[in-house]
Amino acid sequence: MEQSIIIAGFGGQGVLSAGIILANAFMLNDKHVTWYPCYGAEMRGGAVNCEIVVSDVEVTSIHKKENDILIALNDLSFEKFLPRLKKGGTVIANSSLIEEKKPRTDINYIFAKISDTARDIGNIKAANMAALGILSTICGFAKISSIKEAVSNVLPEKIKELNYNVLEAGTKLANE
Amino acid sequence: MAKTLISGNKAIAQAAFDAGCDCYFSYPITPQTAIGEYLSEIMPKANRGYVCAESEIASINMVIGAASTGEKAMTSSSSCAISLMQEGLSYAVGDQLPLVLISVMRAGPGLGYIYPSQCDYDQAVTGGGNGDYRIPVLAPSTVQECVDLTHRAFYLSQKYRNPVIVLSDGLLGQMMEPAEFVKYPYPEIDTSKWALTGAKGRAPRKIRSLEINEEKHNQNLQHIFDKYAQMEREEVLFEEHNVEDAEVLLVAFGTMGRNIKAAMNLARQKGLKVGTFRPITLFPFPNKRLSEIADKTKKIIVAEMNMGQMIKDVKVAVNGKADVVHIGRPAGAWLDETEILEAVEKELGGKYAASI
Repeated sequence: MEQSIIIAGFGGQGVLSAGIILANAFMLNDKHVTWYPCYGAEMRGGAVNCEIVVSDVEVTSIHKKENDILIALNDLSFEKFLPRLKKGGTVIANSSLIEEKKPRTDINYIFAKISDTARDIGNIKAANMAALGILSTICGFAKISSIKEAVSNVLPEKIKELNYNVLEAGTKLANE
Repeated sequence: MAKTLISGNKAIAQAAFDAGCDCYFSYPITPQTAIGEYLSEIMPKANRGYVCAESEIASINMVIGAASTGEKAMTSSSSCAISLMQEGLSYAVGDQLPLVLISVMRAGPGLGYIYPSQCDYDQAVTGGGNGDYRIPVLAPSTVQECVDLTHRAFYLSQKYRNPVIVLSDGLLGQMMEPAEFVKYPYPEIDTSKWALTGAKGRAPRKIRSLEINEEKHNQNLQHIFDKYAQMEREEVLFEEHNVEDAEVLLVAFGTMGRNIKAAMNLARQKGLKVGTFRPITLFPFPNKRLSEIADKTKKIIVAEMNMGQMIKDVKVAVNGKADVVHIGRPAGAWLDETEILEAVEKELGGKYAASI
């Protein structure tokens, strides 16, 4: 089985680092994984995204035209990447910044106050963790224990606890 | 051994370090700057040479200088900047110097575009320097292969005293995958018989490509081409899948080698007899094996992120035994499996119309 996940938002929302943490989590889970960032003439505050392909067998192609899951952290990426979701795919949308509308009827929507949650716990920059917390509840590959271990491997010591807390809060957001 | 999630560029840098690269000289250019950035941190700490050169012409000549003393030397660059190194590469072949060049392709011609492309196959494989010469070219398709083939590049360059190119691209350079940094079985090669290390206690020697005696010049060239013949016998690498019953063979190098496998998997699910073939050494090219496959498989599709470069080598290899067509575009979004599958279905024409 193979899944393709897009994470997209503004530069500064932790889009690329969320992808790297997720890819690390898949690796710790003995899955095959490839992480690919958009790159080019990018700048802080501009649009940024990354694609993660995870699979039980070797990952062949990346840069796919269709994806299984979209994590949209701002409205721009919600509009841009929604058409790329496969039928039956799922979008996790940050309703702190995205209006709750459903332009497609053939996909699943999870709207959650991702930025607000992170801000209330301590730092809005950890919004990416809330998104990964939600993802862990819908993506069989993304075990919460592996994501925690990946956070521990990737992030500096002093911000780990905050990130764990936001991650935990994220797992509960999905059920609200 | 534990795996590390690392980008293709950084994997190449770490592998070069592990392979014993003594000196690295380069000038930054997207999409390969991370190689120099990575090495700028670890080379000085290990008391090895790192110079951010003033230009690519300077960096290739610095590499030639270091290689002349028997040091393992490397540079890395991209497309338009590698154009500036062509004279140096020709000299390095004439001087019979081992050096490693990492080429991370972006789009061209000219300054082109910084997005991924495979448009420098010809630049790497046939080169732009003067004279009769070849350069072995190794084309990785995964981050793990970036590691493996960088080690191999250092070994081959020392074994044959010839430059070796590792041909990556912007996609592979930026992407991260788990990779293992293991010890490789390549032996250390003795350079003491030719390296310029100071003539104290031995007869002076020189390294130069100029030979004013016609007979000696031709002997030197024959020696260099004997090495290429040996490479064709001993160093050819390729990866193939499902070629035995293939009615259509998909051929691609580097990162595109992944997408043809994805397309083959789709095609096989539909019952279409499709195989894949990925040359890993672009020189020496796997002519013999492709020729054997073309005895049975009569349709070959070459998928490249360029306007048609490797297709020429495939045509030479099969020598008219199969129809060879090209699919590709210059840069940007890679041809994906559905596009490649469309090309397969078109090639198979009416025969599978009912089952598609």
